[in-house]
Amino acid sequence: MKRLLEGLRQLFGKERADRELDDEVREFVEAAAREKMKRGASRQKALREARLQLGGVENVKEQVRAFGWEAIVGNLWQDLKFGARMIARNPGFAAVAVIALALGIGADTAMYTIVSGSLTWKMGLDDPSRVVVVNAVDRVHGRDFFGASYPDFLDFRSQTKSLAGLAAYRMTPVNLSDSSALPDMYLCVAMSANGFAVAQQKPLIGRDFRASDEQPGAAPTLMIAYHVWRDRYALDPGIVGKTVRVDAVPRVVIGVMPLERRFPEDTDLWIPLVPTAEIEKRDNRSLLLFGRLRDGNSLSQAQAELTTLAHGLAAQYADTDKDITADVEPIMVIAGVYLMRPLFYVLFAAVGFVLLIACGDVANMLLARATVRKREMSIRVALGATRISLVRQLLVESVLLSAAGGLFGWIIAIGGLRLFDRGLGSIQKPSWLHLSLDREALFYLAAISIGTGIIFGLAPALRLSRTSPNEAIKEDGGGVSSKRGLRTSNVLVGLQMALCIMLLVAAGLLTRSAVKLYDAPIGANTRNVLTMRVTLPPAQYPKPENWIAFHDDLQKRIAAVPGVESAGVASNVPLGGWVSFPLEIEGKAEQQTIGGIVASNNYFELMQIRAARGRVFNESDGHSGPPVAIVNEAFAAKFWRGEDALGKRIRVTDSATPAQWLTIVGVVPDVLQNLRDNLRHDPLIYLTFSEQPQQRAYLLARANVPPGAIVDDVRREVQRVDPNLAVFEVRTLDQRMAESRLSVSLLGGICSVFAGIATLLAGVGLYGVIAHAVSQRNREIGVRMALGASRGDIARLVFWQASPPLIAGLAIGIVAAFGSARLLRAALVGVTSSDPAAFGGALFVLLLAAFLGCAIPARRAMRVDPMVALRHE
Amino acid sequence: MAEAAGDVVQGTLDMLILKTLALEPMHGYGIATRIEQMSRGVFKVNAGSLFVAFKRLQREGWIAGEWRESENNRRAKYYSLTVRGRKQLGEEKALWGKQSAAIARILEA
Repeated sequence: MKRLLEGLRQLFGKERADRELDDEVREFVEAAAREKMKRGASRQKALREARLQLGGVENVKEQVRAFGWEAIVGNLWQDLKFGARMIARNPGFAAVAVIALALGIGADTAMYTIVSGSLTWKMGLDDPSRVVVVNAVDRVHGRDFFGASYPDFLDFRSQTKSLAGLAAYRMTPVNLSDSSALPDMYLCVAMSANGFAVAQQKPLIGRDFRASDEQPGAAPTLMIAYHVWRDRYALDPGIVGKTVRVDAVPRVVIGVMPLERRFPEDTDLWIPLVPTAEIEKRDNRSLLLFGRLRDGNSLSQAQAELTTLAHGLAAQYADTDKDITADVEPIMVIAGVYLMRPLFYVLFAAVGFVLLIACGDVANMLLARATVRKREMSIRVALGATRISLVRQLLVESVLLSAAGGLFGWIIAIGGLRLFDRGLGSIQKPSWLHLSLDREALFYLAAISIGTGIIFGLAPALRLSRTSPNEAIKEDGGGVSSKRGLRTSNVLVGLQMALCIMLLVAAGLLTRSAVKLYDAPIGANTRNVLTMRVTLPPAQYPKPENWIAFHDDLQKRIAAVPGVESAGVASNVPLGGWVSFPLEIEGKAEQQTIGGIVASNNYFELMQIRAARGRVFNESDGHSGPPVAIVNEAFAAKFWRGEDALGKRIRVTDSATPAQWLTIVGVVPDVLQNLRDNLRHDPLIYLTFSEQPQQRAYLLARANVPPGAIVDDVRREVQRVDPNLAVFEVRTLDQRMAESRLSVSLLGGICSVFAGIATLLAGVGLYGVIAHAVSQRNREIGVRMALGASRGDIARLVFWQASPPLIAGLAIGIVAAFGSARLLRAALVGVTSSDPAAFGGALFVLLLAAFLGCAIPARRAMRVDPMVALRHE
Repeated sequence: MAEAAGDVVQGTLDMLILKTLALEPMHGYGIATRIEQMSRGVFKVNAGSLFVAFKRLQREGWIAGEWRESENNRRAKYYSLTVRGRKQLGEEKALWGKQSAAIARILEA
């Protein structure tokens, strides 16, 4: 404490403290001199000797002044003032450096914000490392059930010692209806009553589930998530005890979970898992199990124990559990974002490249300025500055630059995030994604601002501080920049070029992918079609006949809505996948599993798809007349190449009773149902809705007005048929397509932005280095011109200067780009990871930028007047 | 005198200054000469280190300085040992004793 006060006194009472010190040291000298005079020396001689013995009054004072924390602060303050003055004297250089850094730091921080949420996602748990998921697997037959059965769950739970608790759940979309708003679809988890206890979560209000809630015949209960309470019930204080209908079953709300607690999977509602006859079958493995490790137990211990327990069950229940073992994994594997991690690391690396290129630019600029400041440095060394103080002062300058870059980078980051938000559009954002700069992001910003300052400032500072005092005496103040300095610059440029090429290649590949995606013809007219999804809850629609009746009724009603041209139903929309059917093809021995789309009879007319051969469905198909089906061209080509598909027969074989044979009456052109590499068209069959009724389906309505206008009317018709039924994902077909393509185009967009920034920075960097090198060789150029060199020769000289780092950098970069492109393979559609167009384009862009970077200094060099150059120092 | 003399290590210099002031308050030059005297010329105190030590010891609160009139009617800064300084001196003496005994043991072994 005393030290603090003393230090403060020194800082602010500098003059007085200095005077006192001066008096004290001089008195010391006087006293020493007096001693010597006593021994007979003259006053002058005595004083001189005393001063020599002391080592110099000023020297001693300096030593004393250097002690204490205030000295460090004082030095730092001086460095800051000096650094700011130096920067202000070179506004052009400072501006370029700050802009380059702002771009790099801003982009990096924005990416960090986007990605950090995913990397630290804890699924709403306090301690996900202690929670595990238990899966049944059959290694012998290579099957992973992604779940377990209820009886097995009960046995595990009662027998396990390594898990402190084990719970089971199942997730389904449900319709929630009550008097407060239109029915809506929510994700509901049916969970064993101990679920929240295992997750160690307590409701915000109300109570947790009890064992009595999961007994058959118990009064149905419901727990809701905070956002449901907030958005649907407006934080109604009377929510606990309210009765609402979940899939038309009245349930009492017993509690609300706290904000952001949506374990296990972005859940909206929780109900108790009440065992039914279906669930209690030991071979029905549709439940997901999660458990908490007991204190002191590790994952591997739990794995070992559960494997043993599974063996026990396999022995005990050989007919259902034979060959089944248990897999214990950390809970994070079920979070979708877990799988996206590699992608995020790639993006993070990409933006890191941009930042490194920016640092390289500034480092090169500092190296160039170093030659200019040599004289200043050598004078300071001659006056007694230590190397450390020089390095420190230069680093302070660098950090000032990077801090300014960080400040502007903040603005760029905010802008970038807002752009990203807009780019995502109306897609539902995952709950881990936060697009605002929170405190953590700001810390990160500050850290990399200072960090980059040290990184790019260190090398130039170390080099510059090594100047000897002799440099100041030389008249030309240093002249040609040292060979080593040039080599460092060249290495930096080479690295920048390599990083830049990698980014350009990535951007090129992704952009080509996106273009292919957008260009790929869908095969149907997707404009002005409104879509929405419905799921018919089994409780009120237990039998397929109910589904057929519902959709028949609904279809007629929607078709009658003004503005609707035609209404239909389909199991899948374009780019929406398909339903899998085990299929038997007449005449072929093997059974196939083929994708199929179940649709209303007017589906093809609605989607404006015309048959390539034969016909599409008509009114009577499925009701009267022989059972029919339609296939797409890919299917016909695969199974009946060279033959006529019309008249062939297939049948679906997924139930115990033999199905009827369906006759092919038409072949339709391929419609794109899936975005995969090479945009391959899969063989598909089309079945009428009455042939294979579906519980979940898309409602389609082609409108002759903008689809937005008919949304409310269509929803009202659905309400009139069933007031408890919710529709969800209400979108136009075009919007849906855009969303499917979004991920690739978003990735491509981000990479293109980064690649663009990187190219700009690399080009500017190259320009800086070449321009500096040329200015250093000004006199040489003058001599050459005087000796008869043509302007072309001079230009060639400049370009020759740039070649070594450029060529080396490109070479290394292309090789590295081949490697890094392979990482992107999963995200590419219709493009190989060594696509020549992308590589060629990347090379072209970079060479163009490099050419421009050299051209300006070359022009300047060509215009050098030999007389001026020879006189210039 | 010069050859055998060595500069005192910082930690021990503190201790020597405290010991010197334990006898009576003194000004800077007096302390320097006293240390040289007491060490029979083995230690020649570097003025720079001495003044830095003064500053340090003052900061720690072990010595206190005040400007007084010296014997020649000149103004000089006199340092005196504080209560805490006296305590510190005792501790340092004990520590030094242990350390030198240990080193002696090692060297004899």
